[in-house]
Amino acid sequence: MSSDSANAIEVKNLKLGYDGKIILQNLNFVVRRGEVFVILGGSGSGKSTLLKHMIGLYPPLEGEIWIGNENLVGASDEKRRQILAQFGVMYQSGALFGSMTVLENVLLPLDTFTELPPAAKEFIALAKLKLVDLAEASAKMPAELSGGMQKRAAIARAMALDPGILFLDEPSAGLDPITSADLDALIRLLACDFGITFVIVTHELPSIYAIADRVIMLDGKSKTIIAEGKPEELRQHAKDTWVRQFFNRESSKN
Amino acid sequence: MAEKRAHIDDPTALYQLSQESGSLRISLHGRLDARNTAQNWPRLQQQLAGIPASKVDVDATGVEYCDGSGLALLQFLGMGGMTPGATVSVRGLKPEFQKLFESFTPDDYQKFRPRPPPKGHLAEDVGLGVVTALRDVRDQIAFLGAVSTAFVATIGNPRRMRWREVFHVFELAGVNALPIVSLISLLVGLIIAFEAAQPLAQFGAQIFIANMIGLLMVRELGPMMTAIMLAGRSGSAFAAELGTMKVNEELNALETMGLDPVRFLVVQRITAGILLAPLLTIYSMFMGVVGGVIVMLGLGFPLVAIYNQMLTGVSLHDIIVGSTKGIAFGIIVAAVGCLRGLQTKKGPSAVGESTTRAVVSSILLIILADAGFAVVLYFLHS
Repeated sequence: MSSDSANAIEVKNLKLGYDGKIILQNLNFVVRRGEVFVILGGSGSGKSTLLKHMIGLYPPLEGEIWIGNENLVGASDEKRRQILAQFGVMYQSGALFGSMTVLENVLLPLDTFTELPPAAKEFIALAKLKLVDLAEASAKMPAELSGGMQKRAAIARAMALDPGILFLDEPSAGLDPITSADLDALIRLLACDFGITFVIVTHELPSIYAIADRVIMLDGKSKTIIAEGKPEELRQHAKDTWVRQFFNRESSKN
Repeated sequence: MAEKRAHIDDPTALYQLSQESGSLRISLHGRLDARNTAQNWPRLQQQLAGIPASKVDVDATGVEYCDGSGLALLQFLGMGGMTPGATVSVRGLKPEFQKLFESFTPDDYQKFRPRPPPKGHLAEDVGLGVVTALRDVRDQIAFLGAVSTAFVATIGNPRRMRWREVFHVFELAGVNALPIVSLISLLVGLIIAFEAAQPLAQFGAQIFIANMIGLLMVRELGPMMTAIMLAGRSGSAFAAELGTMKVNEELNALETMGLDPVRFLVVQRITAGILLAPLLTIYSMFMGVVGGVIVMLGLGFPLVAIYNQMLTGVSLHDIIVGSTKGIAFGIIVAAVGCLRGLQTKKGPSAVGESTTRAVVSSILLIILADAGFAVVLYFLHS
């Protein structure tokens, strides 16, 4: 069993890969309850792969992933469903269902997993949409929304069942700086006021400084974590040159 | 103080009701999560419907935890959703939930609730349908023009034609279709001959199965079946391929590079269609005839007799007519597939819609063209 209940997620000796190829190995880290935890790394370092393993889309080659007090790796179907209900996921493209309105997208998990009366479900869904400032757009189709709005709608859908943990894959990629900053503010608000734990994959530096409590940095060459800590500290005191260059946005050709 | 407690015997109930002089008090306690709220909501609503009250006091002091569903319950109570006409006050919620509670109020709920879209008028719908149909006809004519000019330009400069793409399409849509065309043509030939054998035997005319199968396969069924199989197999593939390219903005990329999508993609596909459809048609004719011959051999006719009988019924002229139909159908299938692909709209179901439209329009146009052939050939003969 996971020893410490202050940990929302604990990853032990994780090894990931497919077709006999190892992508990441020797991964050990914890995500504490209520913190904004950011997974960093260059392009192709396996950030999204790690995220997809943490949410149970792919089985790892070795190791354990503890969500709360349950190990996701090797869990029975029933157990797995229980674990999956503890978190929500926002995919990089939003992944809203294009044939449903925004409100119907948010209602879907409520309709599927709760026995609440229709008025209650509608109330909850609209409350989530208002939280991400999209209540006015509830009747629109996803295709009618801008990229930033789609991502916010996807966050509202991920929060429909009030999960304790939210996984976000590249929330600010492809957004303008203002929309991106709005999204950062929303993440901070949800983390502070609602106590939601965030696991975020990103490489937007301004976002990282604005939201991250702690980061881990993955490296494609050594296939493991090369740095862990607060972003400000890593920027100034990281041992690895590449990590310092990353945080200071310097070219590697200097 | 006259206090009346109701239903405290139910252990799963997270509420207690008490009444004092016209005022109803609802005390909530425990964890108001999705599961508990769902259990308690309908029961509470049912019970409250039986208790008339002008003033309701909701006491949330005992609530330990409250998620979105619990807040929805509190707000629903607060807006008088379960006690119509009564003045309701909600109090005692823990500060950490109070902020959330205030973030979405019943006023917001009323404001943002989805309203059913206004229903269209019949005249409006009919008009819209007619305009859409006419626009589609206009698009088809414009497309025909674009394809024709692109063909003329390509004939004027044959090196601009991307032959590698033509052969690639030829292989995918033609060579790879041989197994299914073989099977279906052979079986259709077999079935028709077999079905005809019984009634023709009554007149001692079974030898004429050869004439029937020959004419039927060569003039009508060979070209038609091939075209329908092409539409289902390749017309839909063209629409899906071009549609996906449009969704991925590849068509825009072509245009900004100064390349006309019609000349770059459509001409190749139509050329491949013109080349492969007659060959596939002749092959289908042959397989259908083989099917008929197998049945006749089974009935005891020698191969020579079948061959001679077929020659009296089928001439080279019929084969030319059949292959010409094949060419026309090939053009229809390839062109309609490409047109529907280029017309693909936005959204996740757009490509699926395009492929459906491609197959439906192709088959419709094939039948219409076949009718046209029948009329023209009738007048040419007379």
